[in-house]
Amino acid sequence: MTRKDWINLAGLAVFVLLPTIAQTVGQPFLVNLFTRFLIYAIAAVSLDLILGYGALVSFGHAAFFGLGGYVIGIVAFHTADGSGLFGWAGTGQALILWPLAVATCALAGLVIGFLSLRTSGVQFIMITLAFGQMLYFLLVGLMVYGGDDGLAIKRRNTLPGLDLRDASTYYYLCTALLIGWVYLCRRIVGSRFGMALRSLKQNRRRSVALGYAPLRYQLTAFTVSAAGTGLAGVLWANYALFVSPDMTAWQKSGELMAMVILGGMGSIFGPILGACAFIGLEQVLTAWTEHWMLVMGPVLVLIVLFGKRGLYGLLVPEREHG
Amino acid sequence: MDDSVRLELRGLSKSFGALRVTRDVNLAVRTGEVHALIGPNGAGKTTLITQISGELLPDAGDILLAGQPITQLPAHRRAAAGLARSFQISQVFPEFDVEDNVAMAVQARMPGGFDMWRNAKRDARLRDPTREAIARVGLDGRRRVRVGELAHGEKRQLELAMALALGTTTLLLDEPMAGMSSEESRRMAELLAELKGTYTILLVEHDMDVVFSLADRITVLVYGQAIFTGTPDAVRANAEVRKAYLGGD
Repeated sequence: MTRKDWINLAGLAVFVLLPTIAQTVGQPFLVNLFTRFLIYAIAAVSLDLILGYGALVSFGHAAFFGLGGYVIGIVAFHTADGSGLFGWAGTGQALILWPLAVATCALAGLVIGFLSLRTSGVQFIMITLAFGQMLYFLLVGLMVYGGDDGLAIKRRNTLPGLDLRDASTYYYLCTALLIGWVYLCRRIVGSRFGMALRSLKQNRRRSVALGYAPLRYQLTAFTVSAAGTGLAGVLWANYALFVSPDMTAWQKSGELMAMVILGGMGSIFGPILGACAFIGLEQVLTAWTEHWMLVMGPVLVLIVLFGKRGLYGLLVPEREHG
Repeated sequence: MDDSVRLELRGLSKSFGALRVTRDVNLAVRTGEVHALIGPNGAGKTTLITQISGELLPDAGDILLAGQPITQLPAHRRAAAGLARSFQISQVFPEFDVEDNVAMAVQARMPGGFDMWRNAKRDARLRDPTREAIARVGLDGRRRVRVGELAHGEKRQLELAMALALGTTTLLLDEPMAGMSSEESRRMAELLAELKGTYTILLVEHDMDVVFSLADRITVLVYGQAIFTGTPDAVRANAEVRKAYLGGD
């Protein structure tokens, strides 16, 4: 086993044993904190797929996080008041709702990606930012769904055989989804498709000369990434029982990016660490001062300056990084 | 070599503003020949190659590959149509090792580019032809070296390996020996001599010894115009060429 395998195994052990540890040390709130780690980790891993492997700096990725959450929120809203949606009475079944929400995000990713990928570099950053802000202001304006104030959700979606209201059960579900998602993403980046995506990032001109059509690969990756980020939004809505336009704001996109960079781009595993570090630091620092960004900012700068491969790069030797 | 024409340019023209970089160029590369393109700096050799490979669209004229017009075909489809190019300044994937670089070329010519599941590094259908191409250019010992760490000459060899691995029969080689040491150049010349006959090659090269010993025919390009095409002996004997390019007496 390589050093990287050991590190990953240790991380896995922490996640799996966490509820037991929390019980033992008498700090049950840790389960909630770690649930937040897991949910943001799924979003950060998804963003890494295009940021780290495709050099596509999407500054609007929170749009998919929010969209996934709002699908859950809106269906719950109409189911609860009995009004239904387009003649559908609605449901609380996760097995129906979650794939629906993820598919919605994939579709949005396909459309936004198709339009954004006609540009590159700074223009790409700006156009994805613009799409994110469009959704933000749309949600702010939708007074039916609470506008600025957001939308409260009465209860978590249901899964046969599992009681998602139980904090530990929900935690384990998120853990399982993160593991599954990371496994899938690792397969993708190591596959022919992933190699083509990575080649386009390194030398587009050469890739095209070999016969790779950039749009097809990048758009597919963007869509997959949007779907994963949407899944994180779904989990967040069910965790917090609340969705608001802030989920789609540019600040949230920036946070997701910070998690990826902090953890280490282009490694899939790094962003998990980045999400934990970011949310963890936020938790610690906000208890201490409301100007927590004053501390977080310099930490980010230091990490980027001294460790180009992020926190994960401090633990794992370079040749094992990717 | 037979007399059929593999790659043909008909009345190709390209201008950048007032600058006419390609002027009504007619050129026929016969199947299996090494056709050299020579000319002073700024004659428009690379621009011509770039139009053939599809990165630039000509303003007028046609490009035909095996009789089929490819003038409007996007760059990424020309490899599949049978054209591979190497670049004057090495264009490689710096974060990949040698083997992965060449594997990208092998993968490009196969279906299944959207396979998201199987590990590309353990795929024998990719790796076997990859290793073959690497061995062919003499980079066997460097397979697992990251391309960023290769010497300049080795990058040129890698460029050639990638062109070969594409499995096409027509190669556009843009100064394959640029910046090489004399020892590296000698090896590259041997390699090109080995390829001769199997591939149709359009070669841009400044090393006249190589050009005159390797080429079946030579086209001389001056100010974007093809002023002469003929065998090396005919080129040497032509007064106009001597005046324009070879320095004359």
